[in-house]
Amino acid sequence: MSDAELATPFRQRADGAMKDAFLQEALTIATTKFIGLRRDAFAGFPEGEALRDQARAIKEATLQHLDHHLETLIGNVERLGGHVHYAATPAEARSIIVDIARRTGARMAVKSKSMATEEIHLNEALEAAGITPVETDLGEYIIQLAHERPSHIIAPAIHKTKGQVAELFSRELKRPAEPDPEALTRIARGELREKFLQADLGITGANFAVADTGTVVLVTNEGNGRMVTSLPRVHVAVMGVEKVVPSFTDLMVFLAILAKSATGQKLSVYTSMVQGPRRAGELEGPDEFHLVLLDGGRIAQIGGPLREALSCLRCGACLNVCPVYRQIGGHAYGYTYPGPIGILLTAMLEGAPAVKDLAHASSLCGACVEACPVRIDIPRMLIDLRREVDDKKIAPWTERVAFKLLARLLQHPRLYRFAAKAGRIMQKPFASDGRIGRLPLFFGEWTRTRDLPPVASRTFQERWASEKDLQA
Amino acid sequence: MTTRAEFISRIREQVQKTPGRFSAASARRPQHPAAEADTIRRELAERWPETLEAFRREFEGVAGVFHRVATIDMVPAVVSRIAHEREARELVTWHSAALGADLAPALGARGLDVHPMPESEPGGVAERERLRAIAARADLGLTGVDLAIAETGTLVLVSGAGRPRSTSLLPPCHIAVFDRTVLVESLRQVGVLLEAWHGDGRPPAAGAAINFITGPSRTADIELTLTRGVHGPKEVHAIFVEQPIRG
Ligand code: SF4
Repeated sequence: MSDAELATPFRQRADGAMKDAFLQEALTIATTKFIGLRRDAFAGFPEGEALRDQARAIKEATLQHLDHHLETLIGNVERLGGHVHYAATPAEARSIIVDIARRTGARMAVKSKSMATEEIHLNEALEAAGITPVETDLGEYIIQLAHERPSHIIAPAIHKTKGQVAELFSRELKRPAEPDPEALTRIARGELREKFLQADLGITGANFAVADTGTVVLVTNEGNGRMVTSLPRVHVAVMGVEKVVPSFTDLMVFLAILAKSATGQKLSVYTSMVQGPRRAGELEGPDEFHLVLLDGGRIAQIGGPLREALSCLRCGACLNVCPVYRQIGGHAYGYTYPGPIGILLTAMLEGAPAVKDLAHASSLCGACVEACPVRIDIPRMLIDLRREVDDKKIAPWTERVAFKLLARLLQHPRLYRFAAKAGRIMQKPFASDGRIGRLPLFFGEWTRTRDLPPVASRTFQERWASEKDLQA
Repeated sequence: MTTRAEFISRIREQVQKTPGRFSAASARRPQHPAAEADTIRRELAERWPETLEAFRREFEGVAGVFHRVATIDMVPAVVSRIAHEREARELVTWHSAALGADLAPALGARGLDVHPMPESEPGGVAERERLRAIAARADLGLTGVDLAIAETGTLVLVSGAGRPRSTSLLPPCHIAVFDRTVLVESLRQVGVLLEAWHGDGRPPAAGAAINFITGPSRTADIELTLTRGVHGPKEVHAIFVEQPIRG
């Protein structure tokens, strides 16, 4: 998303998304379909529940000794002839990768879908250095041609119609394209096959890395992960530090639940495990293998309030079930990671002030916890985050004063009843359609990005009291 | 630039000041993976017909095409039928040592252009490029299989000398030949075997890549319409040979 777009308040971006009829329909169809596929996959997999608990325990156990596991990983990658790099910030990660590209004389880089490289805005940096980045996941390829950003973690282009894709292909690739998914896919296969064979540099993320063996694990359905790690002479994998798992035994626990949560498949089509550069006797595989370990705000959360979010597998299940995501889609969130987990990841990577509006873009319904393969308690962290935004005085003073007052009222029943009555009278000029869309004076800041529910004409307390009278 | 020492010490600081949320353990790793792997294989040897049936069901469920023949000599007939139905001629294949049998003469006799991959390191970049170009234009890729997982219908292929990664990746049609010795039931068992390959056991090959293949390449990125063969093969065939290939 461009800076100009980011400057638009969240409310407006969300409003825009909700007015886009196609986006609305596409979101409903896609998320509903993913929910069904996931449910069916777990319904036929009774051991799934226990594996989810175990996966969560493995993540927690790994975090408790993350230093040790990373050292093991680093040692093994180096033993296999790979190079490990350390990036504290996105800028550092970009310059490490650009340096590798320059040193190896790379002119074109093929990329398999990776949220980590989106997060560090790698493509812009490569372009600036004169290296052409080519996204090879079909959805990512489409949005790269369209100069957009992904709208869903696992289905980046769900906001586009086949007609729009056909138009885009004919314009950008200068060849006729029919609005038929099969034909469009064939065109992309041809275009990208050339690039795979020409590119000097292959860039991937990593779904997991196995410390014990120095293995980087990539999960894809299209096969681009295999291409990117097999054909170019240099492979760079960019990975958040939290992606390490101790052993192959642990890895299997995650593989058993990841695809089921994402797309309802028992396994994704390709799980590629690469261990260092090409070995003696091999025809393919890179001459050089680089692993870039990324902090970018993660390390501080090992002991921070967002620690639990470090267990995220990026499966997208929490997006699909989120009533807010389902209404507004990925772009409206404004950052790399959308959906409920995206709010937490954005706070982790960009700092809490970045999510002062977004932190409220959740109904705290808890559907995400249910869907999450590792049962991350997203609502709990969102509540903490809202509080932090408040404590750090990121929220305007009027809001802070208002909440302090509310806290008082809630502790004093008499005062509360009185305030409800007073509010009922005072709100008259502002309430319409059962909501208060705009408040006057300095209270306006609150209603700029949300509605305020008005005081009911009869409060619950009043109804409760009269019901009791009736029963008696 | 951040150094390894700085990076790790930042993590260590956090780890040390943070008591764990709850006591947790990672998965129990096999103590003697090679021995456990042997036990698994022995047990599986007794019930391979059920495992094979489960594999077939799952493999077909992910759009794989299953074939069954009595002996390895009958494989070329199946391969050439697949080729003829697709009007295909060019075939790349793993080296006979990696396949466990030399099928090239029989395939050639049936009118296919057969390109076996070399058994050892092809000398020089130019030769590697030439071989890769052959794989890139071939219609069919013929490989062996190192594990066939019944739980998920997955073929596991380890790269190495004579068994390039591209054979199962670049041609639009991948044909894999396997027997009962590679059948396993579950991902859990695969975990034990992987531990054994890496630990005190012997891996099937010494390459840097282990690929799990679960059906043909697919995407649903345009309007969620399922489309096959976006980058990898559009078709995956598995030919089961009843009599173990290596005797
Ligand atoms: S938070 Fe859980 S459900 Fe959401 S993407 Fe991460 S792992 Fe998946």
